[in-house]
Order: sequence, then structure tokens, then C-alpha cells
Amino acid sequence: MAEKKNPGWAGETGEFEALTEADVRGTAYVGQRPRDGGHPGASCSFPYQLADRDPDAPLFEGDYRARFEKIVSRYPNRRAALLPVLAMTQEVRGELSAASMDRVAELLELSPAYVRGVATFYTMYNKRPVGRYLIQVCTNVACNLCGADDVVRAFLEALDTEPGEIAEDGRFTVIEAECLGACGFPTAVQVNERYFENVTPGDVPAILDRLRREDAARSNGAGRGSAQEGEG
Amino acid sequence: MAYPYRHEREVRILSEHFGDPAARTLAGWRERGGYRALAKALEMGPAAVIDEVKASGLRGRGGAGFPTGVKWSFMPKDSGKPHYLLINADESEPGAFKDRELCRWTPHQVIEGALIGAHAIGAGHVYIYMRGEFFEPAQIVARAIEEAYAANLAGKDILGSGVNIDVTLHLGAGAYICGEETALMNSLEGRRGQPRIKPPFPAAAGAFGMPTTINNVETVSTVPHIIVNGGEWYRSFGTEKSPGTKLFNMSGHLVRRGNFELPLGFNLKELIYDVCGGIPNGRSLKAVIPGGSSVPILHADEIDIAMDYESVAKAGSMLGTASVIVMDDSTNIVKQVRRMVEFYAHESCGQCTPCREGTEWVARILRRIEAGGGTEADLDTLLDLCRNMTGTTICVLSDSAAAPVLSSIRKFKDEYLRLIRGGKSAPEPVVAA
Repeated sequence: MAEKKNPGWAGETGEFEALTEADVRGTAYVGQRPRDGGHPGASCSFPYQLADRDPDAPLFEGDYRARFEKIVSRYPNRRAALLPVLAMTQEVRGELSAASMDRVAELLELSPAYVRGVATFYTMYNKRPVGRYLIQVCTNVACNLCGADDVVRAFLEALDTEPGEIAEDGRFTVIEAECLGACGFPTAVQVNERYFENVTPGDVPAILDRLRREDAARSNGAGRGSAQEGEG
Repeated sequence: MAYPYRHEREVRILSEHFGDPAARTLAGWRERGGYRALAKALEMGPAAVIDEVKASGLRGRGGAGFPTGVKWSFMPKDSGKPHYLLINADESEPGAFKDRELCRWTPHQVIEGALIGAHAIGAGHVYIYMRGEFFEPAQIVARAIEEAYAANLAGKDILGSGVNIDVTLHLGAGAYICGEETALMNSLEGRRGQPRIKPPFPAAAGAFGMPTTINNVETVSTVPHIIVNGGEWYRSFGTEKSPGTKLFNMSGHLVRRGNFELPLGFNLKELIYDVCGGIPNGRSLKAVIPGGSSVPILHADEIDIAMDYESVAKAGSMLGTASVIVMDDSTNIVKQVRRMVEFYAHESCGQCTPCREGTEWVARILRRIEAGGGTEADLDTLLDLCRNMTGTTICVLSDSAAAPVLSSIRKFKDEYLRLIRGGKSAPEPVVAA
């Protein structure tokens, strides 16, 4: 990664020279969130787009079961736990299959049709498989003015893929996203749980190389969780 | 600490510690004066807290600008029911990027403000509804919630006051409409994020059917400063009707982009040319959206205005979230308006026909014009559609989609006509981000 221009660091980079990436992203403060959810009030904070996933994992056992109970305890009725529980399902399995949604319906005592009706309303629930790294490029107005279309093209060309398709044997999916709320740092790109900011077409190869390195490290047994490359 | 591009004219109340990772921790926040306001508010009692916030004139920062203290006073006093405070961190208006900064740099500022607000309205539970994409800020806020519980700043008998307030972080799942307060309540309840008809208003029957107040992240972040320093102090910034400071979210074709905290009433032209360093690459200004993508566009010669709620409205637009999107003379206005309308078409919840159908029809016509296949009659159709999309639906998403279309046809009709008559529109910008 180039010294002065650090995608993933908010702001015009170079101004943040005194800070590490962990400082900027907050990972130095947060550390590794406990898989059982930690405090119940904070148990819905997990990224539900991770490279590690298991489509056949049980819903839910062990730490995840503990987290499920904590989530349900925070609302006056079980239905209100639906969004966080769908999120945890996707975190574990990588997507929301019909069978997964049925299981969530059973757990929360809702009808399967109701759960599907809610799940299909929200864009972040993947109703079909995506690559281990879901690359979402903001192309809404603020990023668009600053060349977001070129960033999308650079990702698609570098991976020789089409929007929404799975590239590199399951590794990547590239899609256009609506406003990611980082308009001052265009182009904003979300890759699973992380933001990369100020991204230009020239940054794309370095971002992809970094993700490939992380993917290789992960498959060598880095384990579940939001594996961050140890920088800074 | 070096937050990008601080400017000498800024008045940093909310953003003082942006860029300082030490301010995130509870210990760091306390060293910087944090949680003194909560202790004071617990001593003052709810009525005095509401009076102080009323005296400050603080207006809601989520876009509507409704006075916060007045909103709090709508909550029933002895309802015997559970009350809820919902913090709206579903920031997704194109152009807005302030709440994410508040949450990730100053999570305890947000939590402290939320606790004070909950105390004021008698709420026993605060839900922070954050948009699902904000995983990084969510984990930071989650950590801060855990620290607050461990230090008896949240939970039972807070600081020995006998007051009980729980705090729960709740993540959305990708739906712009959930930033609308009644859609947010539906989403929190595990439903599709579709807005509700008002009345009943949230203070009467909100989340889970109980008295509820919804406040924006920036609004509650301001409250601790008002409690510590007083409403009169807060009134020393800004204008008579729009007191205080505001985070201005500056994006688009600017030399310096980012959040800048300035008194309300700051001149838009100076904001663009002085604070943000003007337009890069030797270009000139074409248009400005002053309050996020859902407000009418201003022409370059309309920007010598004060950025407060009243003045921007007088200029024919809205302050909204003070999300200023700047477009230089290379901008293809039709393309950008089309992109905004496609966003609203994607985000329409589908309940109301004028919105569900109208946003898509408008997007299709704009795509046709952009591709060179439009007719002059299309402009009349667009105006007719947009008029029928305004004021005819449960929420204002439809109005928001119509605003940039109506204003751009009025102010940049020549660009539409150039495309329709086969001429070339302005070239695409070539800007290094």
C-alpha cells in the first residue's frame, strides 16, 4: 500500500500520518468482539458480511446460541429480534437461503412467509450467494461526480467479471451500491465489513492484492472473525 | 490532532476530537470533560433538562429542524407505559456523512447525549438504530456501550441516581427509507421499513405502540454541551432562529472535502470558496445542492446566502442535513439528476402509487433523454409526474425524488434541451479524487 494514499483511511490521506490504520478504523479500541455478543446491549454489532462462512453451519449453537438469547432479551417481543437474527444468520452462513429463513421463522415464532417478506425488503441480506469478498462501489451522486463509474469499471476489468457475478473461484463479487455515507471521501468502497475511501482506479490493483493476501491467510487457518491485516 | 483540513473559521464543539483516537475511550472521554453533563442532568431532573434544551433553541439535525426541547416536551409525563428514545443513525441521504464521523470518533458523546435525552423524556430504553453498512462505527459504539455499562453510566441506578436506562445498538439492513422516523420504528420492530401514517404521532404511539421520541445522532451529540455550558451559551453561536453550530458535510468538486463545523448562518459562498478552497482544476461552479440530494438544486449565482433553516428556504431550497454537494461546470446535470432519481426509485418502499410508479417512470424518461432519445414533450411529462409525486404520499421520499428534477428543469433547462435537440451535453468531469 502506498505511503501517502491509503484507501480505507477516512479523510484526505496524509493528514492522518500520525495515526495507524487500526487507530482510524477503531480496531485498536474495539479489539476482537467476543463471538457470544459481549454485553447484550452491544450484541447486535457484528458485521454480517465476512469472508469466513459455512453454508451448512447450525442455527445456532455455542457462542452464537448465547448471542441469539442476548439479542432476543433486548426487545419487548421476539419479532423485533428479526433483523439482528437474520444478520447473524448471514454472518454465519454467508447468505440467506430459503431454508435459513425458515429456521429463523421457527426460532422467532413467525411465519416463513413473514420472514421472507421482511428479508426481501432489505438489500443487505443476500438471497443468493456472493463471493467471499463483496465489493460494493458507491456510485451515487457525490462519488459519481468524482469518478465512481471509473472505479467500478476498474474493479470489473481487473477481475474480468460482470456486476453481481462471482469471480476468481468464489473470491469476489463486485456490485454498485447506493450512498455509503462517506461522501467527503470519494470514491467510497465497502468490502465486507470495511470501508476503503478516496479510491481511484489506480488504487484498485493494490486493494485486490491485499484482499487476495488476506484470503490466503484466512484459508490457512486464521479462523473466523473480521481478520484485519496487521498494519500499524 | 489532525482531522483532515481543519479551518481557522470553524467553531468546533461536536467535532473537537475528530481524528483523536484517544477520545474514543471512556477514560479519554472523561479526561476531555465527558459525562459531566450526564451527572449534572441527573441532578437537574427531566423538566429542567428540557427547559435548558428549549432555551438553547437547538433544532433537530436530521433534516427537518424541529426544536428538540419542544419535541421532548410532547412526551407524556405520567403515562405509566414504557417510553423509548430512538437515536437515528441510519444516515443514508446522499451527501450526508456526519453521523458516521460522530459515531466512530466520539461514541461516548453520542451515548452521553442519548442518556440525557432518555432521562428527559422518561425513557427506560434507548435504541441506537444504525444503518447496517456502518460496521466499523457500530463496533466502536458497541465497545463504548460496554464501557458505559461497566462504569454504571448505563443500566440500573445510573451513578446512584435511581434512574434506569438501557442502551441497545440495533443495525439496519440496507434501506434508506428507514431513516424516516416511522419507517425506522417499523424496522426496529422487525417489520418491513415502511413509513406509517401520522397521526398517531410517535410521542403518543411510537415504537412497540409506546410513547417514543426519535432524535438524530448530531442532535443528541449537541445536548451534553448545552447541559454543561447552558442554553444561553449555545445561543451565542448561529442566528436567532437557527442557533448553534452545525456539521457541514462538504462533497463533490471541492479542493477540500469533509466535515466542517461552523455556526448556522455561515455564508454558502464563503463555505465553498474560503473554507473548502473553491473548485479544483481551474473549473468554475455550476450548481450546488445545499442540504442533501432530496432538496432543490441551487444555480451557481444563487449561493450568496446564509446557511440557516430560514435563509435557505427563502432561496427556494432547504438546509436539510447541511450536506452540500458541489458541481463544477463539467457536470452533466441530467446524468446526476438521473442518478439521484434512480436512487429514490431503488429506495421507494412501494406503499404509495405516486412514489412506487413515479420514481421509476421519471428515471426511465431521464435515461431516455440522457441517451439522446428524448423529446421536448418529455419535459412536460416530467413536470407533470413530479407535481403528482409531491404531497401525495405517506412520507416525503416521493417529494424528495421530485425536488431535483423540478429544480433542475427550471434552472438548467438548456442542458435538457441540448440533449433532446441532439447537441452534446457538457463533458464528463475528469477529476482525480
